This record gives sequence, C-alpha cells and structure tokens, in this order.
Amino acid sequence: MDNITICRCEEVTLEDIKNTAKKYNCTAREIKLRTRAGMGYCGGRTCRPIVDTVMEHVTGEKPGDNIPLKVQPPVRPVSLSTLEGKENEK
Amino acid sequence: MKNNHRIVDHPVLGSLPEKDSITFTFDGKEYSGLAGDTIASALLANGVRTLRVHEASGKPRGIYCNIGHCFECRVTVNSTSGVRACLTEIKDGMVIESGKPEAQPFASKNVQDFPRTYAEFEKKQKVKGDK
Ligand code: FES
Repeated sequence: MDNITICRCEEVTLEDIKNTAKKYNCTAREIKLRTRAGMGYCGGRTCRPIVDTVMEHVTGEKPGDNIPLKVQPPVRPVSLSTLEGKENEK
Repeated sequence: MKNNHRIVDHPVLGSLPEKDSITFTFDGKEYSGLAGDTIASALLANGVRTLRVHEASGKPRGIYCNIGHCFECRVTVNSTSGVRACLTEIKDGMVIESGKPEAQPFASKNVQDFPRTYAEFEKKQKVKGDK
C-alpha cells in the first residue's frame, strides 16, 4: 500500500511523503519542497488534495493551516504559443 | 479493420455507427482509427496503452484521468509537444510520438563523504596513505 504513487508527475510514493512528514514533522508546503510532490507538469492539480489528506493523517495538519499548498494561475499548463495568441495546431 | 478493442454493440448505447476510417502513425508505426476518436481512444482501440514513459524513471504512462486534467497522456503531435491524447481529436495523417525518457544527470555521490575544507581533504588523503 505504501508504494502507491501519490504524485505521478514526479513519482512520489505515499511512503516518501509519510517518511518525510515523520522525519521533519513538517507542513504540506515543506513536503512539496522536499519531495517535489505537486511540483510536476500538471501543476499539482491531481495530487494536491491527496497530499493534504495524507498530511492530515500523519501530522494532523488541516488543509489550509499555516501555509497551504497554494494554487496560482495559470490554472492549466499553457504553451507560450497559446499565450502569444497563436491558435493551437489543429 | 484491425482494431478489435471496440464495443460494437452496447446494451444501452446501441450499435457503433458507421464512421470514416482514418490512418495515423504512432512512433513510426501506422494505425487506423475512426473519425471522431481522440488520440487516446484510437490507440486504445489498437491495443496501445502506453502513451509515454516517465522522463526520469522510464516507467510507462497512459490514460489516467481521461478528462484533460492530469497531463499523464501527453504526446507529441506533428512536432508540438505536450498535447493531451485524451482530449485531442485524431486527424488523418497525424504523426504522433510518445514521450521518451530524458537524459538524467549522473547520480550524485554522497555529499557527506566529501571533505568540507582543505584540511579535511588532507587528513583523508593521509588516512588513505597510512593504510
Ligand atoms: S489522461 Fe489525464 S489529461 Fe489525458
């Protein structure tokens, strides 16, 4: 069960998160910086709620306590050509 | 048609309507799909489930959310990288490439083992020499 992948973009397992949380007794934000869970291509939109839940179990930190795992624009990964206004290749 | 992983007769949705067949290539191999397929569904119908591998570990990745949320299915389409296979409609003659593993930096040595000062380095050399 512990070798289940939580963050698929950066390949972080439940075990990694649990061990790091126990070792450093840290916040979700620190977990992110130490393990890279939630820092991958999808922008953390897939695993953020799971990381928050795991943290609640391990350290009792509620999502949004102290320094939350923040969400910031762009909401989706956008290519520079799209930002520039070019149509995506159809 | 070779793709035999489709439900042609669905108990609720009925039978699969006639659709134009299109051809495309994935990693240089030619496949056929149906008009209106997404890249992911066309490949799945051909039995292809691995759309890319993880850049660092090389572990296989495919459809995960299938709603364009997770970017696990990203492929390169006609030289545009990062295209979500689960959202992009397939077009005739599309050239699709899977995600490949990327070059990785050399595994770093244990940092604790490095001497921090020249004095430490000298000491280590001496110990080595003594042996
Ligand atoms: S499978 Fe999640 S974005 Fe395509």
